Amino acid sequence: MIETDSLVHRYGDAAAVDDVSLTLEDGEAVAIVGGNGSGKTTLVRHFNALLEPDSGTVTVDGRDVTEHPVYARTHVGMVFQHPRDQFVAGTVGADVAFGPENLGLDREVIDRRVAEALAAVDMAGRGDERIDRLSGGEQARVAIAGVLAMDPDHLVLDEPLTGLDRGARESVLAQLDELAAGGTGLVVVTHDLRDVVERADRIVGLADGRVVLDDDPGPALDRLDDVGVRDPRC
Amino acid sequence: MLTYEPGDSVAHGLDPRGKLAVQFGLAITVFAYPTPAGFAVGGLVAVAALAAGRLSPVSVLRAYWVVFAFLAVGPILGGVALGDPWFRVGPALDSLRSVARVVPVVFVSAVYVRTTPVRETRAAIQRMVPGRVGRLFGVGVGLVFRFFPVVLGDLRAIRTAVRARGGERRPLRDRVRRILARGLQRSFLRADRLTLALRARCFAWNPTLPALRFRGRDYPVLALGLALACSPLFTLVPGRFIPVA
Amino acid sequence: MTEEYESVDLVADDTVRNLAAAAVLAALTAALAQLSIPIPSVGVPFSLQPFGSFFAGLLLGPVWGGFAMALYLVAGTAGAPVFANGAAGIGQFGGRTGGFLVGFLLGAVVTGAITHRQVAPRSLDDISVPVQLVGLFAGLAVVYAVGVPWMAEVLGISVRAAAAAMAPFFPPDVVKVFVTVGVVEGGHLAIRE
Repeated sequence: MIETDSLVHRYGDAAAVDDVSLTLEDGEAVAIVGGNGSGKTTLVRHFNALLEPDSGTVTVDGRDVTEHPVYARTHVGMVFQHPRDQFVAGTVGADVAFGPENLGLDREVIDRRVAEALAAVDMAGRGDERIDRLSGGEQARVAIAGVLAMDPDHLVLDEPLTGLDRGARESVLAQLDELAAGGTGLVVVTHDLRDVVERADRIVGLADGRVVLDDDPGPALDRLDDVGVRDPRC
Repeated sequence: MLTYEPGDSVAHGLDPRGKLAVQFGLAITVFAYPTPAGFAVGGLVAVAALAAGRLSPVSVLRAYWVVFAFLAVGPILGGVALGDPWFRVGPALDSLRSVARVVPVVFVSAVYVRTTPVRETRAAIQRMVPGRVGRLFGVGVGLVFRFFPVVLGDLRAIRTAVRARGGERRPLRDRVRRILARGLQRSFLRADRLTLALRARCFAWNPTLPALRFRGRDYPVLALGLALACSPLFTLVPGRFIPVA
Repeated sequence: MTEEYESVDLVADDTVRNLAAAAVLAALTAALAQLSIPIPSVGVPFSLQPFGSFFAGLLLGPVWGGFAMALYLVAGTAGAPVFANGAAGIGQFGGRTGGFLVGFLLGAVVTGAITHRQVAPRSLDDISVPVQLVGLFAGLAVVYAVGVPWMAEVLGISVRAAAAAMAPFFPPDVVKVFVTVGVVEGGHLAIRE
């Protein structure tokens, strides 16, 4: 469970996240929507202590993330835009192993986790392939596997579909469906609700760093104007 | 271009630490002994390395022809004299001797490059260089391998874009400045994203190290490397210390 | 399951940032080494490789700038085709230009030490252009001070002959110092906070 309490984050004088209190349950699929500069990316980077609050607190399973960054980062996995810039190794398997290696796990455990993570994104048995030679969709899935190998309860994806072609979108979405079915909590940050809305249990809308919308998808769709996001039904 | 290729040669199966020791040891030996004995040792090691890596000397010559061409310039530069007799054989031979000692090192390093994947070099660095420095070098080298083609792609794209907008007609300095400024900008953007990804994946000082197996056949290789590296001492001992004592 | 992983010793944020910047700058140096612009009027190609060393010292300071160049050299030794013309391997250091490679490392350290005068890199806004120029020229001097005698040793020729052979490359390198300052002063370079 991820909880923020009166979270504030400032860049200079401007508050990018302004007094946000949210609770995200285990297994919940949440879409965080908002326009450019609404603060959605800044907000989620607090979930695993990539940023430090100016005031307020963030906890994962009751533990303060600033004091327990390793706990936060292993339980809340984060996948960023631009998968190409997230890889640390040249081959798929070596890259996916990076997270578990940092956790100091035994080699057999690491090998098993890498195999499971690759299977979870439909890349089983492709550990020896060179990342540079994969398609965009495959790279996006390997980036997800690299985070899954740390066995997180929640997976936060920042604009996971931006820049992907139709086929790659479909393949990433199919993986997300499977993860959600397997009980992983999903937090998808997006400015574009197409394909996301029918999968979400809940939609949180941000504008100017504040939560202006937090509801089930049905009612939320009628109020998308508040967050300056296009209605995907149009 | 000569790069790593998977294979099942003897050299592929050796531990990277032994192979590194031989390379550095050989470099020390050939520079310490620019003598026929030194050349003979260098030549033997180079031939053995090529055989162990099943690498053809012709492909090395082809891949490193620029290096060899530059080396060949040495004796010419060395022999040329301003004034009579214009070309002196003695200095040219001196130069040839200097140049020749580099050749076996180039061949042995080519075998290393062909037979050793990055992850093994990384693992070797992290085991040989102690503590945090070793960790930073190990991960850093992997990252350079990973980002080199990406950044090269950036630069080529920028150069093409500058050219497409009539950049050819601009002065060289201006063109270079544009390529560099945009190249740096993109590189630092990538570095920022990489920083976040490393942090999110718990980049730690004390990870599980990549597996490396040091087996029986690696010991003679390591011993050869150490012997080569210590070879300058062999002359110092009888030549300088023992007579004095 | 609630694993705690209490033994994990995370690398500090600043260190991660510097490592990432150094690795990417090493990759940039490697990429620049593959590009050169022919200038027929001078007769030598205008190599972009020295810019890597200049940027490393100027932007990352003496320690991390030196580390970036060290990564470049180690990656090349380990087999990445990062030296000029896609070459790699320790044999490159025995080549004619091997000393210049080592010079790039030491030059970056000297440039960084003179411009930043501390381990952590300062913002370039706080460093005057003359100081940047002095740092870069000192770095360039180091590159030649290592490279030329090294070349003489490798080729078995006199230092004077080696210097004569390298003389045509020197004026373009001086131009590169000014271009470097122009690029970082241009304001379009987003240096992280």
